[in-house]
Amino acid sequence: MVLADAFIQGILMGFLFALISLGLTIIFGVMDIVNFAHGEFLMLGMYTAYCLSISLGVDPLVTLPLCGAVGALLGLVSYYGLVRYLLRGPMVAQLLGTFGLMLFLRYLAVFLWGIDYRMIKKGLLVGKSLTIGPFHLDMTKVVCALLSLVAFTVVSWIIFKTRVGKALRATSINREAASYMGIKTERMNALAWAMGGITVGIAGGLLANFYYIYPMVGLLFVMIAFATVALGGFGSIKGAFFAGILIGILETVFPIIGHLLKTSIIGPQYKMTIVYLAYFLVVVFRPRGLFGWEQ
Amino acid sequence: MKKGLFLSLLVLAVAMGLLMGPFTGGVPAKAKEIKIGVIYPLSGAFAAAGRDLRNGAELALDVLNNRYPELGISIAKWEGIPSLKGAKIKLIFADHRGEPGRGADLAKRLIMDEKVVGLMGCYHSSVTKTVSAVAERYGVPMINGSSTSPVLTKRGFKWFWRTTPHDETFTKDLFEFLKGLTEGKVRGVKAVPKEEIKRIAYACENTEWGSSVAKVIEQMAKEYGFDVVKGILYSAKSPDLTTESQALVAAKPDCMLFTSYISDAILFVRTLKSMKASPKVVWGQDAGFEIPDFRATLGKDVHGILTRTVFIPKVVKVKKAAGKINALFKKRYGTDLTGASGRAFVALQTWAHVLNAAGSTDPKAIQKVAKELFIPAEELIMPWGGVKFDKTGQNVLGTGLIGQYQAKGGKVELEIVYPFDLATADMVYPFTTWK
Amino acid sequence: MGAIREAFDFSDFPLVERIGFGIFCLFLLAFPWLGMDSFGMAVMIQFLLFSLFGMGWNTIGGYGGQVELGKAQYVGIGAYTVAVLMVRWDIPYWFSMPLGVLIALGYSFLIGYPLFRLKGHYFAIATIATSLVLQDIFINWNFVGAAKGIELPIKGNTFLYMQFTNDTYYYYFILAYFLAGVLYMNWFRKSKLGYQLRMIKIDEEAAESLGIDARWCKIKAYAIASAFVAVGGSFIAVYNLYIDPESVMHLELSIMIALMAMLGGAASLWGPIIGAAILVPLDRYLGSWLGGHKELMGVDFMIYAAIIMFIAAFEPRGIWGIVERYRGRRT
Repeated sequence: MVLADAFIQGILMGFLFALISLGLTIIFGVMDIVNFAHGEFLMLGMYTAYCLSISLGVDPLVTLPLCGAVGALLGLVSYYGLVRYLLRGPMVAQLLGTFGLMLFLRYLAVFLWGIDYRMIKKGLLVGKSLTIGPFHLDMTKVVCALLSLVAFTVVSWIIFKTRVGKALRATSINREAASYMGIKTERMNALAWAMGGITVGIAGGLLANFYYIYPMVGLLFVMIAFATVALGGFGSIKGAFFAGILIGILETVFPIIGHLLKTSIIGPQYKMTIVYLAYFLVVVFRPRGLFGWEQ
Repeated sequence: MKKGLFLSLLVLAVAMGLLMGPFTGGVPAKAKEIKIGVIYPLSGAFAAAGRDLRNGAELALDVLNNRYPELGISIAKWEGIPSLKGAKIKLIFADHRGEPGRGADLAKRLIMDEKVVGLMGCYHSSVTKTVSAVAERYGVPMINGSSTSPVLTKRGFKWFWRTTPHDETFTKDLFEFLKGLTEGKVRGVKAVPKEEIKRIAYACENTEWGSSVAKVIEQMAKEYGFDVVKGILYSAKSPDLTTESQALVAAKPDCMLFTSYISDAILFVRTLKSMKASPKVVWGQDAGFEIPDFRATLGKDVHGILTRTVFIPKVVKVKKAAGKINALFKKRYGTDLTGASGRAFVALQTWAHVLNAAGSTDPKAIQKVAKELFIPAEELIMPWGGVKFDKTGQNVLGTGLIGQYQAKGGKVELEIVYPFDLATADMVYPFTTWK
Repeated sequence: MGAIREAFDFSDFPLVERIGFGIFCLFLLAFPWLGMDSFGMAVMIQFLLFSLFGMGWNTIGGYGGQVELGKAQYVGIGAYTVAVLMVRWDIPYWFSMPLGVLIALGYSFLIGYPLFRLKGHYFAIATIATSLVLQDIFINWNFVGAAKGIELPIKGNTFLYMQFTNDTYYYYFILAYFLAGVLYMNWFRKSKLGYQLRMIKIDEEAAESLGIDARWCKIKAYAIASAFVAVGGSFIAVYNLYIDPESVMHLELSIMIALMAMLGGAASLWGPIIGAAILVPLDRYLGSWLGGHKELMGVDFMIYAAIIMFIAAFEPRGIWGIVERYRGRRT
């Protein structure tokens, strides 16, 4: 029973993790860059939702499109302002570059909003719960999970069913060939960053509904995102989805197992540790993850 | 040309920062000024607490250095330190940002460059550790007002005094309260059979503070005959406490005890509420549970939650001084005094009394006087028996309070439920707010 | 021994640099007598410490070309070994420090082996993951004090336990480590391993075809870096007299170490020193100045980050890279 409850919570979180990781995997798939600043994009999405909800008094859910827009903007500015130049350099430079971006955005947030933790206090769903049978679920989490699912589906549809999406995929499979086919790879790069930005911005807007918001929150989620993307396979959208759910379940079920086995060595204090370990193990022993090396 | 350029680049790079040193050095004190270094978390994750602390200290400073005869306590009439010819205290604030290493560096700077007579601080028990170690090394007196880790006065230090009671005292209060609950001593509640509240689960945040409290809880539970069915140490920075909450709920405890800072406290309440958790007693160890934001954010959801606290405005009923000073604080800063600002006030007040009794700023004189100091209860805004330090530097006359949030007609008030004779309202039992 | 002579042989540096460094060393030796205030002394100590960290990082991050962001865990190992041994069994520093280094070496080989199956970003992220895992373990492990950390007993002035009441002693202590580090790095870059690493960095496949076991070389470099950093960690333990997982093993520390080395110029001897020389005083002075100005909080890091992005985009070899480009040479 307790286990089932944990499973459900894990799946709900998993949808959100999947959405967060989606952007990361798209960017990677198209241009082989790991965006260290991904967590910070998420964080800024959260702040966007927060600020809008505070200043305009609107429900956080209403702010989602704006969060997405802010995310897209961030992605595009990052690409045209920085990443474009990084591509010319060695890998070290790319790492350094997105890394610097991460620090810059993080401390920009500190500068703009201070380091205090903030929470959205009012909202349609804040604090309500949904009861299904013996399970009590946080309403906000349920709705956010559903919305993540929707966002994920929409993006997948764009990527697999539209011309633009096909061009994107072509670029990620073989850059040179794609450019011979007339696809403007430069534009594809920018598009990847924009899409990455939108998805993670929206994810941030969703998260803001029930997490607290502070400048360092990006780090935690970026590690989860890395683990998810690694597990699913860098560049694989399907992978991001399933891996997200898996990681979500892993995070919630693992401590409960400790409780069931009546041992306190396995407990919530290690819930992030298991995620890091998962990343490490996957990347070392099965680098392609579950669905990697295919698009 | 090239050689010169390189040389100057290299030397410049290093000299740049280093030569800034002398220009940021200390300024010698004016003849009639006594400098005290105050190290608080003025920025960083605990900036809110830092601000609160600073307000408390600055209010005390103002009351000491100027005349406020209507307040009715000694320092209000002193206008400086009488035995030092009215020399005024000057506070030099430094921000440790929650980092023990930085705190130690700042302490060194205050001691050696600013030449402070003594130190105050630091809120975070971990920072207090390093700062007091520096003070101990240099033989500089330090008065600690708000750090409650029991360990701090068990180190055999000779230059460290603490006015606030520590977590062992506070946690003992809780168990005395629970015991009183079973004996019918709690106002408004008939004696509760022990079996009904025997199962305890706790969640403590995983730094110095929380883990110390966890140990004390385990120890006292054994002493008082309660069963700890689940003990969790969690990371206060975690943005999600679902797993932790689930673990708590799964253990089916009768009492849930928390040692949390503000954000995790809020998150726990929200998460547990959505899980419709129903323990009979919910208690928080001050900090997050006491800060005004807790009540403001959660509103009615906190109805029935108990919190260890050191100061509630309701204390006014027992302490006259508290009422007037609280009013002054509220007028100036817009909120009531809290445990943090209140204790900062008392810490500075203690410094004033110590300096006055010593009649000098000589460390040895201060040390001698501190050992024999007694500040009577009427002087304090805290509901304590007074200030008197034992051999370890711990104030033995401090006591804690347990308050309960009660929602009445749209407002949420904090009522005193312990000590039993100071209770200001009937206790709400059992806790059903989240069902 | 040939190695010692090699270590002291700076002859392949241009005269300018040699003189510059010589003057710098004299400045360092004389520093405590220059009448600096205590804060300045504390900053210098931090500078030397971080230079040490940076130089160590350089072996794998600079010469090895594998950016790694998990050095903090080794700082922790170094610090904790000294602390735990002193608190529990009263073991003097000169026994516990080498033990700490050995443990760091051992651990680095242990996780280095699987780690170096990876490259590039995967590797970097994996190093972050391992550091976070170890930190989490330390936070929950009662033997090392868990989250409460360890307070070292104050023993006054003693060379046995390396504790002093006067910061000047600590200064010369870390200076000694610093100079030893420089000499070691000087030897290292001219050693066989140093050349092998450089070759691997330029073209790993070609190196492999010449019979170099790339993976082993990297692991060795990684182990050396860990040892360097552990020594620094042991210093922190006796200097601060209080350590906990949050302060000696946190991610920001790993980031700062890598940052300083990369900013100054990875893969060069002077780079990490320059990087530390700029960032450490900047951090301490700006931090203490800005601390009073709440509105400007975060600006200091924004500045570093902007510098990093700039360097990444235009001169990944850091400041030293800029200097060399200007002079048209390579070391």
